[in-house]
Amino acid sequence: MHPALTVFLYGAATAVSTGLGALPFALVRRISETTAAHANAVAAGLMLGASFGLAAEGTAHGAWQTFAGVNLGVVFILLTQRVLARHELSIGEVRGAGARRVLLMLVVMTVHSFAEGVAIGASFAGGMTLATLITVAIAVHNVPEGIAISAVLRPQGASIAACAGWSVFSSLPQPLMAVPAFLFVDAFRPALPYGVGFAAGAMVFMVFVELLPEALEHAGRAAVGLLVTLALVAMILFQAFL
Amino acid sequence: MNPTLVVLVLSSLAAAAAALGVLPLAARRTAPAVWFGWSNALAAGLMLGAAYALSEAGVEIAATPMAGGAVAGALLILWSHRASHTEELDLNRLGGGDADPVYGYQVLLVSFLHAASEGVAIGAAMAASLPLGVFLALVMAVHNVPEATVLSAVLASRGVTLPQAAALAVAVNGAQVLLAVATFAVVGAAPWLLPVTLGYAAGALVYLTLVELLPQSYRQAGATSIAVVTSLALGAMIALQGLLP
Repeated sequence: MHPALTVFLYGAATAVSTGLGALPFALVRRISETTAAHANAVAAGLMLGASFGLAAEGTAHGAWQTFAGVNLGVVFILLTQRVLARHELSIGEVRGAGARRVLLMLVVMTVHSFAEGVAIGASFAGGMTLATLITVAIAVHNVPEGIAISAVLRPQGASIAACAGWSVFSSLPQPLMAVPAFLFVDAFRPALPYGVGFAAGAMVFMVFVELLPEALEHAGRAAVGLLVTLALVAMILFQAFL
Repeated sequence: MNPTLVVLVLSSLAAAAAALGVLPLAARRTAPAVWFGWSNALAAGLMLGAAYALSEAGVEIAATPMAGGAVAGALLILWSHRASHTEELDLNRLGGGDADPVYGYQVLLVSFLHAASEGVAIGAAMAASLPLGVFLALVMAVHNVPEATVLSAVLASRGVTLPQAAALAVAVNGAQVLLAVATFAVVGAAPWLLPVTLGYAAGALVYLTLVELLPQSYRQAGATSIAVVTSLALGAMIALQGLLP
């Protein structure tokens, strides 16, 4: 098998694993406003943790390039927000502010997968022996990202299947970007800190502009603070062992 | 110079920086609410950046004790807020005839807890490495300025003069100096505590950011401007941490 095909298949497998993040929500029957706020807090912590991991990887390749990427990520989400605000949106049953949040979450998570795809491809180029290990690591790491997406979609009335489907969709750029990054690693490597910085900036901005205000409005401060801290710590621990 | 003395000097400088926080009020006596929001957002971004640097240092030594410390840090602050009934306290209430002394004590107590956690952060970072320690002391020094702006605006609205407000802002941060030196000494004597302490400080800072700084700031300025200030401050901290030797 051509190594590029292997990279693609591995990348596709990691994308599918993102859908597993929807499963815990099958256990939750009724989603009250407070539950939704708690879910947003968990998503915020997971995304902050993921951003910390990306930031550490980016600064290892270039601190200022990563910072430039962070700024671009913030500006990108600001512009996307402006565009979304101008349209009357509805996704299925969801309308208005809820629909905008769902769409913004999907844009953020999908865009951040592009940078992760580049990271996967570039690390594959380091030697195929490590490929399986890296793939398993990325696949497992995608599950909490699926949880974060489902935590925002599910309270808006999306079905478990829809949560899983959109989670997988948000990770599709991973195999798509992994292949060119693997084949043309020398061309992609200088872009890596910008890319992961962009992904981290977009996620952090999403956390502060949508998830935390929403969580703090419908749940107590202590609950939000504790859930965000626990999710963040879990994500850091997770990344440390994978 | 004796390392403990370095910790004392640096954490004292960080605490003294709080005095600069009254300057915006000297320029404009009644501060507009958005100033509070942006000050809190800037302080929040710097806090999270400090937590990032601490957790990275902790993970490098031992990830699991770091994580345990972080959970303990968040829980201890949660418990002390609950025990003192300050969980949902509005820290930025401007006076308007209400001279409620209980509110004043609560604000001072909460500010003390906040500063104490920052002191643990400086002490633990110093024990990890000198560059990290200097970085944390600088971050806390800068962070103390917008924080003191908010505190002195609250005090000034209750008739406290600006020099007195500056003195109180520095005095509250005295806890920072005390805990920085104590943490450095304890971790120096028991090095196995280092990852736990780094995690403790990171967890406490993240929790404090979420329960004290951000809820206030969202009310004082819109979510968009708060998110921009916080994200960029955090991004700058991440870049600077990446440049540390």
